[in-house]
Amino acid sequence: MGPDTQAMQKDDLANPGMLSVLEGDALWKAPVGASQKSCASCHGDAPQTMKGVAARYPAFDEATQAPIDLAGRIIQCRAERQGAAPPQREGRELLALTSYVAHQSRDLAIAPPQDSRLASARAQGAALYSTRMGQLNFSCAQCHDDNAGGHLGAAPIPQAHPTGYPIYRLEWQALGSLQRRFRNCLSGMRAEPISAGSADAIALELFLMDRAAGMKIETPAVRP
Amino acid sequence: MARALINVPAKSKRGEIIEIKTLMSHPMETGFRPGMDGQLIPRDIIEKFVCTYNGEVVFSAQLYPAITANPFISFTTIATDSGTLVFSWTDNKGDMQVQTASIQVE
Amino acid sequence: MRRSIFLTLLFLSLSASSQPPMSSEAGTQSLPLSLTGVAGDPAKGRAIVVERQKGLCLLCHSGPFPEERFQGDLAPSLAGTGSRMSEGEIRLRMVDSTKVNEKTIMPPYYKTEGLERVAANYKAKTLLSAQEIEDVIAFLVTLKDDTQK
Repeated sequence: MGPDTQAMQKDDLANPGMLSVLEGDALWKAPVGASQKSCASCHGDAPQTMKGVAARYPAFDEATQAPIDLAGRIIQCRAERQGAAPPQREGRELLALTSYVAHQSRDLAIAPPQDSRLASARAQGAALYSTRMGQLNFSCAQCHDDNAGGHLGAAPIPQAHPTGYPIYRLEWQALGSLQRRFRNCLSGMRAEPISAGSADAIALELFLMDRAAGMKIETPAVRP
Repeated sequence: MARALINVPAKSKRGEIIEIKTLMSHPMETGFRPGMDGQLIPRDIIEKFVCTYNGEVVFSAQLYPAITANPFISFTTIATDSGTLVFSWTDNKGDMQVQTASIQVE
Repeated sequence: MRRSIFLTLLFLSLSASSQPPMSSEAGTQSLPLSLTGVAGDPAKGRAIVVERQKGLCLLCHSGPFPEERFQGDLAPSLAGTGSRMSEGEIRLRMVDSTKVNEKTIMPPYYKTEGLERVAANYKAKTLLSAQEIEDVIAFLVTLKDDTQK
């Protein structure tokens, strides 16, 4: 991530991710579904009520008695509490709302919940991170722990902290989720993708958030 | 077309050179890319961007398929009088989006 | 002295045509037998090495390829490989480097078993074909370290 990309991220008027945040702001206030309620109807003013939320996801969901990611929580709200069609993973509506909510935690430290019911997901995430996968037989750890700072061809290898998701990736020319980013890595390794919203995806996200605990959220980040 | 983010300096002095920045949400689909079904996704690009300042064109640009999605266009102009800046983006189908911003000059 | 032992064993084993078991010679591990029995073509081997989508080599390795930009820095330079290793040692590392170093990041170029979660379109396929591996080996053995006389 060179100086030009960093400068683009810092300037809220040049950061293309902010276009999604702007869209999210409009969606937050728009009544939808059978309920004709907007997010604001229950949650009020997002900069107040959503502050710190993204920093403590994935969390344990009481309703499903399973770990849930932020996007999953938004889908749940839309479908069950607003009576609207559940937004698609990686769809524009969900990305706009997720980026808007996560943006309210910008500059706050990542602090995954210390909930003992998340223990098995944490273990699952840690295991996935160090398991060799794909025809190329790589584990995440081999690149992102052992070789961070090195170069895979022209591409610098980052430490892979999920501080800025959903990110505006210049390669995608669009905003995308962490789970989309997993898909890029896994297809590069010639491994089966982890499906978005699956238990594996949430477990891996939880592991990465644990690993990044204390780092500041920077949503929406800009990346090459 | 969706909304654009526009930055005009809050206050400027008469005769001062000011920078205006715009970031428009647009897919800038080239027309060369096949979709998931193997068919080419039709071209959908902004072709022209114009900014008028109290009715006078101070900047215009012709855009081509090579321009990336969500084009960021910034330019400078001289602050003359207080008034209105009108920005318009026209796409290859002829649809136009207009946004305005006011400018205060002392 | 070690080199002549390798070479002797190499000549003796080249006559066989089936997949060789791994052999341990003078403390180094190698796969001395050709995977195909057909001599590799070093020109083809070089083409495979520099084609990133094919050999993937330059993503991690650098080497004597002045026309190739942005070579990786995660693995030793390929320059001088032919001076450092025998054909058999190179072959072992290409087929399955985990036999030499369990923690290696070098992908296994001729292995389909024991891999997790392989993408559907790559399952039961090796990264390179047996002859392509022989081509790469034939090229790598030509990379001599000029300072060694």
